[in-house]
Amino acid sequence: MAFRDEIQTLSGQNVNLCFQCSKCSSGCPLADKMDLKPAQVIHSIRLGRADSVLNSQSIWLCVDCETCTSRCPQGVEPASAMSAARVLALQKGIKPSVKVIGIYYRGFVDNMRLNGKIHDASVAGITQLLTGQLIADLPLAMKLLVRGRVKPPPLPLGGGRFRKIYRNALAREKESRA
Amino acid sequence: MRLGYYPGCSLEGISAEYDESIRALFAHLEITMEDLPDWICCGTLAAPSLSRLLGLATPLWNVAQAEKAGYEKVIAPCSACLYHFKHATNVVMENPPLRAEVEAVLELPLNSPPPTIHPLELLSDDGFEALIRGSVKRDLSDLKAVCYYGCHISRPAKLMQFDDPENPQSMDRLLNWVGIQTLDWPRKVDCCGAHFSMIKPDYVVDMCQHLFESALEAGAEAIIVGCPMCHANLDTRQEAIAAKLGHALNMPVLYFSQVLGYAFGLPDKELGFKRHIVDPLPLLKCLKSPLPTLVTSGTSHFPHSTL
Ligand code: SF4
Ligand code: SF4
Repeated sequence: MAFRDEIQTLSGQNVNLCFQCSKCSSGCPLADKMDLKPAQVIHSIRLGRADSVLNSQSIWLCVDCETCTSRCPQGVEPASAMSAARVLALQKGIKPSVKVIGIYYRGFVDNMRLNGKIHDASVAGITQLLTGQLIADLPLAMKLLVRGRVKPPPLPLGGGRFRKIYRNALAREKESRA
Repeated sequence: MRLGYYPGCSLEGISAEYDESIRALFAHLEITMEDLPDWICCGTLAAPSLSRLLGLATPLWNVAQAEKAGYEKVIAPCSACLYHFKHATNVVMENPPLRAEVEAVLELPLNSPPPTIHPLELLSDDGFEALIRGSVKRDLSDLKAVCYYGCHISRPAKLMQFDDPENPQSMDRLLNWVGIQTLDWPRKVDCCGAHFSMIKPDYVVDMCQHLFESALEAGAEAIIVGCPMCHANLDTRQEAIAAKLGHALNMPVLYFSQVLGYAFGLPDKELGFKRHIVDPLPLLKCLKSPLPTLVTSGTSHFPHSTL
């Protein structure tokens, strides 16, 4: 399947509707940190430039604020296209080009598998440990702890519901790709 | 109307004061909500970044529980949970083959999923105006504050179908009802950086710095919010932002539910003020209160201080 069609299948987005007004890029709060601006991501998808999109930092730096989607005069949802590109990159074995964000998303879902709900302090602690941020945020963590905003991790007893959903979803996706 | 309540993970952890103040406020207004049974995390941006089907099925597990329990609406105070519930419902209900697939993943049917709404959508309805105005016990008319809506309370407009995505008013209206003349400012829907606080804290400091600069310029002494991530970022990153600004910040960041509860005279303890990094009580306590004469209706019953 052509790259553009893969994105469309995953996100429902027809990027051919884009007329490059760049409204999405203008309003994006992360655009100044992105290698490809949102309008360039959309245009690159349209041109079938899978490599540059799937290896871009932009698809991982998108924080899903939905400003672009809300404002696009053509009804394109750049945020949904970014999300589809992240999924596609992982499916194709392309490592997240912003490593810390890949680590965080993976760790988040792994934490959900323990208890269905996440334990926010563990997710934050583990992510920061793996990304070398822990020391910098320790004083803040202590302040949150004394204010009762860091709860002890729960026993991992409630994860069964989510683990079933996780298994079923991944098995079905694998089947439909085979 | 039977209402389900989905607190979400943040409200059980770092944002406990949002949960406490929402519950106290709703109990005070005698609005009954039931905790959604067997709920799981909404998956936020993490689950849909790993797998499309997982990203849709995870929030829909909760929606399916709400349908099974027979709720007419689900209240979600976290705007990220709210967005993911609404987005997944919308995408899946419009696409019958996808819906069948999600139902198979969940091993549960999705026939007529109840809508999810933000508590602001419930409370800012005109039907609550008289009750809210009539419940005021403290005069907060001196509070100089801006309302910060962040991303998902009304965005993307087509999906959220609530308030104005570029210049929302629902929170301002609610606070006006309790006598606070909220200030206008240009950044009420800008992004705070959300979960990037844990992975790219320097980006969040940059993004929140703009918010504080703009709030200060508008003359605000406090920022009022309706999302646990907005609160966490604005409340916890002020030291780093102050260092960049070159002056102290110490600006209280309050949930609308705390401010309403405080206006209604609820005890501080029920509203979780002690959990904040920037203590809001010194500011709240220097406002004149309680009401000099108890008023129950009308719009301009709070004389402005001459201070
Ligand atoms: S806002 Fe829409 S039409 Fe304009 S450049 Fe972005 S995607 Fe294209
Ligand atoms: S959703 Fe992503 S791409 Fe769109 S404006 Fe927000 S951060 Fe930028």
